[in-house]
Amino acid sequence: MNEWFADIAFKFQLAFVEGDRWKLYLKGLGVTLQISLFAAILGVVIGTIVALMKLSVKKGGKRTFISVLAQAYIDIIRGTPSVLQLLIMWFIIMEGCKNGILVAVLTFGINSGAYVAEIMRAGILAVDHGQMEAGRSLGLSKSQTMRYIILPQAIKNVLPPIGNEFIVLLKETAIVGYVSLSDLTRTASQVSSRTFEAFMPLIGAAVIYFIIIKILSKLIELLERRLRKGDHR
Amino acid sequence: MITVKNLHKSFGKIEVLRGIDYHVKKGEKIVIIGPSGSGKSTFLRCMNLLEEPTSGEIWFDGKLITDPKANINKVREHMGMVFQNFNLFNNLTIIDNITLAPTKLKLMEKEEARQNAENLLKRVNLLEKANAYPSQLSGGQRQRIAIVRSLAMNPKVMLFDEPTSALDPEMVGEVLDVMKELADDGMTMVVVTHEMGFAREVGSKVLFVDEGTIMEENTPKEFFENPSNPRLKEFLSKVL
Repeated sequence: MNEWFADIAFKFQLAFVEGDRWKLYLKGLGVTLQISLFAAILGVVIGTIVALMKLSVKKGGKRTFISVLAQAYIDIIRGTPSVLQLLIMWFIIMEGCKNGILVAVLTFGINSGAYVAEIMRAGILAVDHGQMEAGRSLGLSKSQTMRYIILPQAIKNVLPPIGNEFIVLLKETAIVGYVSLSDLTRTASQVSSRTFEAFMPLIGAAVIYFIIIKILSKLIELLERRLRKGDHR
Repeated sequence: MITVKNLHKSFGKIEVLRGIDYHVKKGEKIVIIGPSGSGKSTFLRCMNLLEEPTSGEIWFDGKLITDPKANINKVREHMGMVFQNFNLFNNLTIIDNITLAPTKLKLMEKEEARQNAENLLKRVNLLEKANAYPSQLSGGQRQRIAIVRSLAMNPKVMLFDEPTSALDPEMVGEVLDVMKELADDGMTMVVVTHEMGFAREVGSKVLFVDEGTIMEENTPKEFFENPSNPRLKEFLSKVL
């Protein structure tokens, strides 16, 4: 038993303490969080705009050009692997850009935007049509009603799936190792190949992801509760 | 006040309104009745262009509002509308429901709009609900708030689309009372309803709409006591 503990302690020492390796994980986590945060913000902005684009209709009920454009964007992004999108961004579209984090933020933001767009669209459609009619009947324009009445209600509707999307996004950033960014996952794998010991670094990284996501979901839950204070259902 | 000329409206292949001509004078209370599916709600909703007419003209206050160049948002500022399902803004408190349009459309300063809203809420005895959310109110209370919200815009006309149809029977009275008060104040009103008592008591004219046309128009007394149209006779025999 003692031997087992000693072994674990040694592996822990090797994976985290020796050569101040814990600092590497911290740095990796920083990269992961930085990419996730900015990509999430970008994704929500793109997603909301694309959702509104896709929902736009002409007077006769026909789809507008920008609606078709929005659909094309969603199809392309959802129809290709995100690793491939990252590689295309890194090696082709932004070739020569030295800032890997920027490339990653753009890639994941654009990627997430397609999924957020569909979530937002569902959230907007779930708001009773009477809300728009009431706003319009008072003389508010379509965009004013959208901004003050529909979107606030839609955002409340979509918080659970948006939270889901953020979690997926955070974990998906683990592929940035493909373009030689040292995020948390890549750091763990680098440490394990340095020390020839895989258990501690990989499990350690997994635990860190788990804790971060647990905190994130708690925050989303709190926000959801705050936004729901208006309904008594 | 409102003039409707040869109004047609189709949804796809279904022709709901088949040529309606009508003139609403200032101060009149027009009550529209008719069987469900007759087009009476569509007729009302065309007046503020919530439904876009397929053809025909609608004039409001001397302006042709069916003109593609007309500023429909501006027109709607002067036409209040009350819906069957209340349609209060669920994300806003009662006071914000009432002040949103006047302030965002820059018709009133915040403080002025608030004062105005509070006065209106006093009139319907709901001032203590100012900071509640719509989901905390009963149906009757919500509909009274919806009426107040429209009044806050100082409309020239009020359109009512079956305002009591979604209410529990014991709440119908409180909403009708507010409407009667409004009528006594001289508001021009167009009301689609199934409340025959209200039509008889408040209406200056009653219209019977069926199959997309106005089949009969008369003063309430004549309308209910001497109906001439056979379909109206049949309808009245069912509902009275």
